[in-house]
Amino acid sequence: MNNVLSNIIRCVVALLLQIFICNYIHLFGYLTPALYLFALFLLPTDSGSGPTVLRLPAQYLIGFTMGFIVDMFTHTLGVNAAACIIMLIFRPYVINWLNGRKTVEGNDRPVPANKDFRWMFWFTLVLTLIHQTVMVMLETFTFHHFGKTLLVILGNTVLTVIVILCIDYLFYSDTKRA
Amino acid sequence: MNNLIEFIKNYFHHFLAAVLLVICFVLIGNSMSYNRYKIARICQSITMPIEKSWGKLIHHFSLNKENEQLLQQNLELLREQENMYLVKEDTTLTQMSETDSIHTERIRMYDYTYAHVTYSTTDKPFNYIVIDKGSKDGLERDMAVLSPVGIVGVVSDVSKNFSSIIPIPHLDTRISALVPTINQVGTVVWDGKDPGIAYLNDVPQHLEINIGDSILTSGFSTIYPKGILIGTVKEVSSEQNATFLTIKVKLATDFKNLDLVYVVKNLYRSEIDSLKANFKDE
Repeated sequence: MNNVLSNIIRCVVALLLQIFICNYIHLFGYLTPALYLFALFLLPTDSGSGPTVLRLPAQYLIGFTMGFIVDMFTHTLGVNAAACIIMLIFRPYVINWLNGRKTVEGNDRPVPANKDFRWMFWFTLVLTLIHQTVMVMLETFTFHHFGKTLLVILGNTVLTVIVILCIDYLFYSDTKRA
Repeated sequence: MNNLIEFIKNYFHHFLAAVLLVICFVLIGNSMSYNRYKIARICQSITMPIEKSWGKLIHHFSLNKENEQLLQQNLELLREQENMYLVKEDTTLTQMSETDSIHTERIRMYDYTYAHVTYSTTDKPFNYIVIDKGSKDGLERDMAVLSPVGIVGVVSDVSKNFSSIIPIPHLDTRISALVPTINQVGTVVWDGKDPGIAYLNDVPQHLEINIGDSILTSGFSTIYPKGILIGTVKEVSSEQNATFLTIKVKLATDFKNLDLVYVVKNLYRSEIDSLKANFKDE
């Protein structure tokens, strides 16, 4: 119960930060960090506790809802939601790939307390890249000026990765809280 | 049942993801007009060539019907032509009598029907054409036969279902013709050689006639309506001591590729002929 509540609070806080702060950042005219992704990254993984059947559907629903709410404020209905769902589909595979062959016992939340920097960096980078690629492509919806679109994707990804890693290391490096 | 539950347990998240994604794309398609426009354009660029070529193919099946409809429409239009009527309007008389009916009753002079060529020759001195309509369809001797571009000939014999036509490329042909540019009447004859070339006789030497001038029917005979194209002037030559010019006429109708013809009936022919009969003996 505590776990669910903390996740919900984190999602709400992430949404508030995204809607009221990050959406107003337009670095170099184009780059907007997708800060709210950190709440989705921190959702429980498959090896955590709880009924497995409901975990992934719950993640998809949370991702959809958050993306939808962000979309409502950016007037791009469906774009962020679709990007979030596609990102969440890839999330278990990325975790499996990073964990490698070793089986992880007990608490496996992707936070700095459990993982090393390389793990955290690649995890954040790959998932952010997927999310931003889908989002920016759906938003521009054209292959004209593809170089510019690519630059926006990469710039957004770099910005988002930096911000999310900062948040992770600021608030989730304590082993006790993880 | 257990299997079903197991299946749903294992794959539920896939279904959910798919459903949510579909919802997302529906939302994108509905809310973002540029995306919708773009999708529509991409779809169109794929489907348009297919639809076009398929439409062309489908079109062939309806061509027969369409052809028939166009023929009917052509007949309607031909019937409405001005030279099909005896009296067009008589303004002075009607204005005196009644002001509201300026157009007098027009008397229909000619009627049309169409037929297809079943057999034709072009390489003989006495050519003939057979068409697929006969006395059953109201055809009679001495009706004029026209093609969509010009004059063809005259009905010579009528059976129940077929008729034979004497075309212009026939040594007996004599057609009263008019050159509108000089307002001169002549006679079109054929020399028995090229089925595309005829000669215009009876044009005096002193008249200037240009190459390319069109030659029309004069309307003096009871067979042909007035103003139907016979051909265009191809060559003009004048011989010494001759009274008339030698004028080569390129016939408008291509007798080698003739399929559709119109048969014209003069509704008042017997009346006019009966008048003419009085003068025959003198």
